[in-house]
Amino acid sequence: MSDLALNAEHVADAHDDHGHHSSLGLSNAKLAMWLFLGSECLLFGALISTYLLSVANFIREVVAGNPEVIDTMGVGSPIMAEIAEAHSVEPMFDIPFTSASSFILLMSSLTMVLAHKAVSEARYRESRIYLGATLFLGATFIAGQVYEFTAFYREGLTYTGNLFGSAFYTLTGFHGVHVSVGLIMLGSLLYLSMRGRLQQDRAETVELVGLYWHFVDIVWVLIFTIVYLIP
Amino acid sequence: MANSATTSTASHGTHGDDAHGAHPTEGQYWIVFVALAVLTAVEVGWSFIGLEGVALVLPLIVMMVVKFLLVGGAFMHLYFDTKIPKGGTFVALFAIGLILALMVFAATISAFEWHV
Amino acid sequence: MALIEEPVALPAGAPSAPSTVKKPLGAFTRPKNPTGVVDWLTTVDHKKIAIMYATAAVLFLLIAGSAALLMRLQLAVPNNTLLDGDTYNRIYTMHGTVGIFLVVMPIASAFANYVMPLHIGARDVAFPRINAFSFWIYFTGGIMLNTSWFLGGAPDGGWFNYAPNSGVAFSPSNGIDFWNIGLIIVGIGSLTGAINLIVTVLNMRAPGMSLMKMSVFVWMILVTQFLLLFAIPVITAAQVLLSLDRLYGANFFNVAQGADPLLWQHLFWLFGHPEVYLMVLPAFGIVSEVIPAFARKPIFGYSFMVFSGIAIGFMGWGVWAHHMFVSGMGPLSVSAFSMATMFIAVPTGVKILNWVATLWGGRIVLNTAMLFAIGLVIQFTFGGVSGVSHALAPADTQQTDTYYIVAHFHYVLFGGALFGFMAGFYFWWPKVFGHKLNEKLGKVHFWLMVVGFNATFGPMHILGLQGMARRMQTYDASMGFNRWNLVATIGAFILGIGTLFLVVNAIYSAIKWHQAGKPDVGPDPWDARTIEWSIQSPAPAHNFDVDPQITSVDDFWYRKYAEDENGQLRQVATGAELAQPGNGEGVHLPAPSYWPLVLAIGIPIIGYGVIFSAWLTIPGLAVTVVAMYGWLMEPGDDLDDVHHGDDEHAPELVAATAEGTE
Repeated sequence: MSDLALNAEHVADAHDDHGHHSSLGLSNAKLAMWLFLGSECLLFGALISTYLLSVANFIREVVAGNPEVIDTMGVGSPIMAEIAEAHSVEPMFDIPFTSASSFILLMSSLTMVLAHKAVSEARYRESRIYLGATLFLGATFIAGQVYEFTAFYREGLTYTGNLFGSAFYTLTGFHGVHVSVGLIMLGSLLYLSMRGRLQQDRAETVELVGLYWHFVDIVWVLIFTIVYLIP
Repeated sequence: MANSATTSTASHGTHGDDAHGAHPTEGQYWIVFVALAVLTAVEVGWSFIGLEGVALVLPLIVMMVVKFLLVGGAFMHLYFDTKIPKGGTFVALFAIGLILALMVFAATISAFEWHV
Repeated sequence: MALIEEPVALPAGAPSAPSTVKKPLGAFTRPKNPTGVVDWLTTVDHKKIAIMYATAAVLFLLIAGSAALLMRLQLAVPNNTLLDGDTYNRIYTMHGTVGIFLVVMPIASAFANYVMPLHIGARDVAFPRINAFSFWIYFTGGIMLNTSWFLGGAPDGGWFNYAPNSGVAFSPSNGIDFWNIGLIIVGIGSLTGAINLIVTVLNMRAPGMSLMKMSVFVWMILVTQFLLLFAIPVITAAQVLLSLDRLYGANFFNVAQGADPLLWQHLFWLFGHPEVYLMVLPAFGIVSEVIPAFARKPIFGYSFMVFSGIAIGFMGWGVWAHHMFVSGMGPLSVSAFSMATMFIAVPTGVKILNWVATLWGGRIVLNTAMLFAIGLVIQFTFGGVSGVSHALAPADTQQTDTYYIVAHFHYVLFGGALFGFMAGFYFWWPKVFGHKLNEKLGKVHFWLMVVGFNATFGPMHILGLQGMARRMQTYDASMGFNRWNLVATIGAFILGIGTLFLVVNAIYSAIKWHQAGKPDVGPDPWDARTIEWSIQSPAPAHNFDVDPQITSVDDFWYRKYAEDENGQLRQVATGAELAQPGNGEGVHLPAPSYWPLVLAIGIPIIGYGVIFSAWLTIPGLAVTVVAMYGWLMEPGDDLDDVHHGDDEHAPELVAATAEGTE
């Protein structure tokens, strides 16, 4: 067997089981990623449930006029009054802004999947453009989150003040951390590609990062609807 | 027979699993994206037209689920995975986690007293 | 670059190749043929990792067991002053926490790691370095948790640390922070281990081994890993929330701000109930191998065993609030969970019946392994029956938070799971170490444990029903608890000695074996049923010379014993004749690596930083990030570097694949 064929065989082996048959004919790494994402469902499920419960309790306290809660966004805060009247935290949110953020994140999923397609079809320059675009869009999303957080903070919503602040910042913060980890992975992929080391044979790596990225996007789909749109 | 990585009988027909057939075109990805964007716009609009209660929430949830399925099925390749042998495993593994999460947290949430 | 593990060519006896490795992007080389301590620190061999899991678990068992004995000393007589209230709280909290997370779960991991790949005919697990990392992060996390004893006090809120009690207001010392962070860290190991083992079982089975031809042990391990996969994130979320409350002032458990005090309990027990099943299912798997081996019969009702295991795994998610019957969650929840809990006794009962039916009519070999296995069957049944009595919510209202519950869970966990693990030790010892444990000592070991265990926990049923409360550091002489507490304490010390007999036997047997000149115990000393007995003992580093071809459950057994004209089983070959000789030539083994250990050191440093000083997180993060990148960047293959000068070879690779070499 020629060295070249050896290389190719070894290379293809990277995708299955190093020369052993694979019982399901599927990639180990991809199975692992899906299992991980399955476990993440439980993590975010716990956080989303906690958010729902916490916000419901917060609203209850506000509506009931609990003095320890009412003053937590500043004495006589107008937002607090709006929340009390609406029986909902809707007044806090800037829906158009957040929908723009959602749109950006959705677009980043598109560029991600196009990046993977490009790598698997050996269109490396395009793959770098798409990876860069995903990175940029993801970073824009994070920037949007930071902006939103600072805006809320200025309106009086602190992390430690009340249940709403703790729950909101924790849930969206956890999501933001996941996005940031994704950005690091994307940056690493981009760097590797620029060094000429992200070749067609490594398309699966891009796919796996993509799966993670899309999952983070899906979580945002859930958060956007549940937190922002549903009162 | 002796075992050796280099004389493998391993399945070669895989760059992972963008295997022969069952792979979306770039155009299809764009269509999915447009659908997602439209759905998002509809969701936002729906939340602004002054509906309340089930009339407000139910369509929002439906749209959320559709977006979820679009991203999962198209971008995460799950729909196409079901076309290759055993590819449904990926769906199954994720679905177990998802359904379990939905069930236990629905049960947990309903165990609390809600005052809103 | 090896994001995904690539095997190393390790022909037996070949000298290591000269180091001509180019270092792409400054990656570090992997250790080459390490020996001694470095071998163990950098190994990715599932068998060595399993041995480390078991050894570490025994070390932590000394801590958990000593804590138990201290508790028993304190409770031996009424109004005792050996331990004050605060100390007593810490002792029972750590007894439970260490016992569950650092002893029972790792022993299960040890068996899963050693035996499962052998049972499916695999060379190793799917991700060997992650496997090593899972062990090291458990070990460093466990050490970190135990440094709390010296760094401000161990956690003291019970192993379940209910919030709001475990919040800063009521538990100001940082013990509970250690509990949170330490267990989050240990949980990382469990989660990565679960992913690893599931992929291994799904994707690395020997040819012909369909899912329904796997051993019951492997099935139980598979279900256990799924339970871990989904339960760990929930407790991680809960502990993160509690940490945010304690360390950063969040309000999740702040009742003054309107938080619901039941939130913690629901989140915790959502994890906690699957947790107890994932502790006992591996032991169920073990005795499902031991009993057939020593009854000389196949397991009765293989499919029932498999499906009842799956049913337990699934239903275990629906019963968690039976730990909360008196929490005030309302009659509807209580009734629903009470019914669900009664139902879950059914699949477990199926297993008990099947084990008994396996024994029935068998030609029983009553060696130590079998004794321990039968011990599990009997004692777990006791625990299960008391469990059913708790399922009745009105009865549980009387029983909860009394020693009746303590009796229940020790009967299922200790009398059940731990006895099962002992059976596993005696059964698989020759495969791991090349000699059996001494049978005479083994019988002493067993009877000490049986007598000690039942003397300790049997009376607790009575104490509980008499009203003795849990987690109280003393009781008054007038309460009528004196006699049975004293009995329980004496029993505990007998049990302690008995449990240590495993170590005694291990040392004694090793010494005797060396003195006898290390005779070869042979591949199949028990004339057993499954394929791990078709390779030499101790198991060679590469496991199987060639992939075993599987045609049925207990494939190995049926190659030894075939049916003759009368339908009787006749021996056609011995295990030794059929066994693979252990020739590892041309076999590729995963290469060792430093990075799992380094990563496992970096993460707890971040933990210390979070608890004590944010500045500490910086070196912790640095080590962690360096370790992660080092891991990702290290060459997959030191000796065989033809493939791995990526910059040079990339264009050729592209050309090769583009030529359609598929």
